[in-house]
This record gives sequence, C-alpha cells and structure tokens, in this order.
Amino acid sequence: MAKVLLVSDNKSYIDEIKSILSLYEVVVSSDEVLIIDILKVENPDIVIFDCDIDTIDFKYIYRQIKEFSVISILLLNKKTVTKDILSHANMFISVPFTPTVLKSSINSCLKTKKSLVKLSKSNQELASSLYQLNVLYSTSSQLAGSLDKEQLINIMNDGIEKSLNYNMSCTLTFNNEKEPVLLLDSTYSPTERLVESLKLRAVMNYKSRNSSNNFEINIQDIKVEKKVKYSITEYDFEVLNFDNLLSFIDVNDECHGFTEIFREKEFTLEDSTCFQTIVQQVAMPLKSAILYQEIAATNKKLENLEKLKSEFISIVSHELRTPLTTIKNSLDILTSGKIGELSENAFKFIGMAKRNVVRLSGIINDLLDMSKIEAGKLDFKYSLTHVDPVIEYVKNNLAGVAKEKNIKIEYLQKTKDTNVYADTNRLEQVLTNLVSNAIKFSPEKGKIKISSDVIDASNIVVEECFQPDIDRLSGEYLRVCVEDEGIGIEKENLKQVFDKFEQIENSLSREVGGSGLGLAIAKQLVEAHNGAIWCESVINSGSKFYFTIPLANERNKFLLAKRQLLQKAKSTSSTVLTVNIKAKTPLMDSLMKEKKLFNEVYLSNSLLAKNENDSTLSLAIIDGNKTFAEFLHKRVIETISQNKEKYKNCDIIYTYEIEGVADEKNSYSR
Amino acid sequence: MKKILIVDDEQDIVESLKFVLEVNGYTCFCAYNGEDGLKLAKEIIPDLIILDVMMPKINGYKISRLLKYDKKYKDIPIIMVTARSQEEDKLIGEETGADEYITKPFDLDFVVQRVKEYLKG
Repeated sequence: MAKVLLVSDNKSYIDEIKSILSLYEVVVSSDEVLIIDILKVENPDIVIFDCDIDTIDFKYIYRQIKEFSVISILLLNKKTVTKDILSHANMFISVPFTPTVLKSSINSCLKTKKSLVKLSKSNQELASSLYQLNVLYSTSSQLAGSLDKEQLINIMNDGIEKSLNYNMSCTLTFNNEKEPVLLLDSTYSPTERLVESLKLRAVMNYKSRNSSNNFEINIQDIKVEKKVKYSITEYDFEVLNFDNLLSFIDVNDECHGFTEIFREKEFTLEDSTCFQTIVQQVAMPLKSAILYQEIAATNKKLENLEKLKSEFISIVSHELRTPLTTIKNSLDILTSGKIGELSENAFKFIGMAKRNVVRLSGIINDLLDMSKIEAGKLDFKYSLTHVDPVIEYVKNNLAGVAKEKNIKIEYLQKTKDTNVYADTNRLEQVLTNLVSNAIKFSPEKGKIKISSDVIDASNIVVEECFQPDIDRLSGEYLRVCVEDEGIGIEKENLKQVFDKFEQIENSLSREVGGSGLGLAIAKQLVEAHNGAIWCESVINSGSKFYFTIPLANERNKFLLAKRQLLQKAKSTSSTVLTVNIKAKTPLMDSLMKEKKLFNEVYLSNSLLAKNENDSTLSLAIIDGNKTFAEFLHKRVIETISQNKEKYKNCDIIYTYEIEGVADEKNSYSR
Repeated sequence: MKKILIVDDEQDIVESLKFVLEVNGYTCFCAYNGEDGLKLAKEIIPDLIILDVMMPKINGYKISRLLKYDKKYKDIPIIMVTARSQEEDKLIGEETGADEYITKPFDLDFVVQRVKEYLKG
C-alpha cells in the first residue's frame, strides 16, 4: 500500500484529502524536524505540500528531500509561489481541486515512482554485471601472465572473491609433492568441527568426479590453510546451509581439485556463470604451469648429470694417470740398463709395453680434453701465431712414428708465412691429431702432404654435408690441408668421422684403435677459433682433411674475444649484448676514442673493435641491457652533434644482437 | 751429496723416483703424506723437493706455499708433480710458488735432467 505524507496545517484540507485517499496510508505533519524524521522512518512514496503553510521553509525541506526517493506534489493555492520552489516539485494541483484530479495525480505519481525504482534496480544489476566482467577480464589477464601453480590458484580465488563476495570458499588443490591442500578463505573463523566436516566434504566432492586420472586423497593427509577476515566471530555448521556453488578444476582429463563457495545471499544465474567462467579460465595456464615445472625439473637433472659426468671424468683421469706413471717409470728403469742387461726379446716386449703406455696416456688426455671442452672450461690463450713453425714442429714430432711405416711427411708452403690469431698449443694439437690419423690410415711407404693457402670464405667449395659449417665463415682464412694416400672414407660417412667416439667400421680401424676422439676434439678446437673443419675422400685412394683459421686482424681478434665472452656468459647464465654501429670513418675514429670510456665503465666484461672493411664498430658486453644500448646511442648522437660539420653526411645503422641465456630480467626482443 | 726429499702418497712412484735419483748420485728421503713431508723438510732441509699435488689432508700446493713463505726454506727448489685434472688446473693459477710443474705420467730421464739443472753448482 502506498504511503502519503501530507504537509499541511489546514484542517479542512487535511480532512478532505484523507477521505479522498482513504485507500492509502496518510501521515500528516507540519513540523520541519518531524517531517524529516517521518521521511526517514516511514518512507512515504509521495509527499503532498500545502503551499499555504507559513511555518515551513520549503527550500530547506526540498534540499533534505533530495536524498529520499519521493515524489512531491504541490498544492497551488492563492498564495504565489516562487519559481524555484516550483522547479522542485514533480506535480502541481491547484486549489480548489476535485477528488478525481487528486486521485489520478497520485496514481500517475505512483506509476512514475515504480518505473524509477525498476530503472534503478536495472542499473544496479547492470553495474554489478559490468563489475563482474571487469573482474573476469583482469583475472584472465593475470592468469595468462603466471607460470606458478600456487599463484594461479590465488589469482583465481581473488577473482572469485572480488566478483562474488562469498562468505567462505574451499579450494582443494595438490602441491608439488602431490599432497592434497585445502585452502579455506572465510569471513569469520571456522570452528574445528566445521573444518573437519569441510575436509570430509572435500574428499567426497573430489571422489565424486569420475575422471580417468585422479590423485590419491586421504582425509588425514589433507593440509588445511586458513585465511580469515574477522577472527573475532566464528562460523559453525550454519555455513553448510548457505547457498553454494561448486566447480572442478580440470586440466585435460585430470581433475586437479575443485573450488566451492558459500554465501548467505543466494547466487544468481549470472553469479554462477561468472564463477564457472573463472574456474575454467584456470585450466589452460595451469597446464602450462605444470609443464613448466616439469621442464625446469628436467633441466635441473640434466645440469646435475653434466656436472657429475665432468667430475667423474676428472677423477677417473687422475686415478688412471697415477698407476700409468708407475708402469711407465718401471719400464723406463728396466730399459735404462741400470738394473742389468736385457735380452733382445725382453727389450722388444718391454718396448711394446712402453708404446702402449704412451697410447693409453694419449687416450686419457683426449678424454679429459673432450670433457673440458664440453663443460666450456677449456681456456684458450689467443695470440699472434706464425703458422709455418707450428706445422714444421708437428711434422718433425711425428716423423719418428711415420718412419716406422716408411711414410714420408712433406710440407708444401703455398703462400708467404701467414699470421693467424690462435692458441698455438691448440693449433699444434689439431695438426697432430690430423697427421697422426693420416699416418694410422696410410699404407706402408705412403706419402702425407701438408699444405696451406689463404682463401676467402666465399671461394671455399665443400661437400653438401659441410656447407652449413662453411656458411658461418666470412672474410679471409688460412686453410691448411693434410692429405694422405690411405683407405679413404665413404661419402655418407664424411660428416660422421668428426663425431665423438666415431670409428668407421672396417678391419683397419679396428687394428689401429685409438680413443675415437681425435677428430671430434680437432673440430671443437677449430670451431673455438671461429674456423671450420671438413674433409674430402676417394675410397682406396686417399683423403684430404682441411681446416681454416681466421687471419690475424682486428675484427677476427674481436670475434674470438667475443666468443670467449659468450662462453663466460653461458657459465654465469647471463646475456651478451652486441651493438653494431655502421657509419662513416671519421665518426668511427671518434668513437674508437670512446673505447677508454667504455672500458672504464664496463671493464673486463666489454670489448670494442672496429672493422676496417665495412666500417662497422662493434661493442659487446656481458649482461648487456637495453639501458646500455640506449646510452651508447646517446653517446654517438652527442659525438655527432658536437661536430656537426664533420659528420654531416653520416648515416648510422644500429643493429643489436643478443646471445646467451635469456632469462626474465634480460628478455627483450631483438 | 745433495739431499732430495720426495713426497707422494703413491709408494710405487716414490720408489721409482728414489731408484733413478740414487743411481745418479743423490741421497733420497721419502715421505708418504703431506704432514710427514712437511716435518721431514724442516728436519733435514733438503736441497730439492719433489712434491705430489693430490694428497689427502694437506695437498702439495699448501705445502709449497708454507715452505716458500718461510725465510728458512724459501730457497729450496720445488718440483710439483701433477696429474693435471680439472681441479688442479684451477689451483695452478694460484700463487703456489713452485719452481716447476711436471705432469703425470712423466719421463724419468726428464725428471733427472730437471733435477740436475736445479742442483748444479
């Protein structure tokens, strides 16, 4: 029934109106303060003002009325009313009035009020939907950005809480150790017995889900985590009578748990849809998070295995070398003549033993080298190296072994003594490996030819299988060739010979033995110099083994140093940022002067080099980040602006390369 | 007669070194672990020490450092014998003060030659 408040002190009006509006509840007052109270307590739908009243300040009343959703009707009578009082009223009835006019005015006002109330309700519902949508959107974005399982569940619960305002939520999930965890988020503190029953409920809920792969769950194993808003009050079993929503967290066909929420105020259909949507949103990122965890665990295992392998080889090498030393010493003493004369046969057989000690020693060295190379722990000391003396040295060293098979080693120098930038000892090692292989696989009385020439990378022709290695080269190289007249290698095996422990199956290689690592090590060593290694062969005619080493110049020196920097970065899991600036020469010279500054700022973790040929300046730094690249950019711009005339036609092209391990703090696009 | 101290936990290696050095006219003293080696060194004050690196408890590098930082013993030449595994390579970089490093397996003649070099005159 509608309520009407009549503000008047005219008794005749009051009686008349009361009788006309007999179906409505009419309250009368003419006191300002009382009126406000009535408005607050009785909540009338309509207020009828009698403008004749002197005791009321309409303006004041209207100001108060604004807060209440009432319709006001003015009774206009003989007294004139100001314009602005008029503007506040919804309707006017002039006095004298007929009952019909009054009644119909009241009705129409009531209808208006009803519509307004409906509109307001719709608006509220719309606002609430919009809010839920916003929460859904923000929850989705957050979910997409996380790879942490725990965090994902938290984001999901946050989203549900914000959009649905529950009294209590129970989420069952499984932690990394596959143990069940029950998360309780509640307005008030749950009693012990409520917690126990929630645990039981969780088990029943979970078991009711008929998926193919369910985790094992026992009520005593459940770990409970509570989050309480107001711990001063308690919740007991009444929570179980609240309205509830339940949704399972499914990833593929595995059930990873569920979320159930309780709320005293009933859930609407929208609430239910919103709830289901949020929980479903978690499935995909959860799958990624689980995969990510597995990959991280596998990586950790691999890392550990690598470490163990290295340690193992290291210890074993040591343990093998020690007794080998004793054997060698004993044999040396025997053949020294200091403990008496040896018969010819004794001498022969002891010689055999000695040779095999040397062989064994070589194999252990190879194993150790290989493990060091793989661990990235082989240190190279690059310097300006003359190649000829190295080749001569190896040739002379192996002349003795070659002589045993009546093999002659020749060195043909095709170009003037060339300088390369290399680690002399390792260069020697590569040559030794290639030449001793040549000796091993050559027939009696064969000839081994070593030759060298200078060649540009673009002119190198190789078999298809080696093309990718050659494609990496650029510029001029020293190319060395070791040619033999041995048994040769099948075309399909050409690339494989450089694999670890690879020994082509044939009768000769079984006789010859060896560690099978010689060529693999040679390959690693050559590549560590930014070079390449390959071979050509004709069965039963012979093979040619080639390798290239970059010539000694500023650019190659830089590239080698950069390679070492990358190794260092790899072992400390950081990135190397290389900034290449291509510009005209006067600017380059100017920038090279900046070298001192860069070196001061970045010390041993940076290198700077200028390439004469294509006027490129390269700066590589460990843990390079965007800020530094921008700093460099700024310096260049500053240098140019300080000498506008000099560099007016300067075109600067920047390229950035990022190599090494990219992790979250260093990840950015090229 | 020049005195040589051999310190190595491998008895066989000590014996072969001892044999070869005695044949060449040197007097040899032997220790089979770091502690004894250090004690013996301070007792007999040898003219040269052949020292193994990898020994349990106290390794060759430590001993070499201790002796080289001591006024009384710093002039004794020390030849270190190493199997050159990864761990040792790391330590070689440090300041150990040894005069020479020989890798295992070594050539006995080479060792004798080096000893003669250090002890001539």
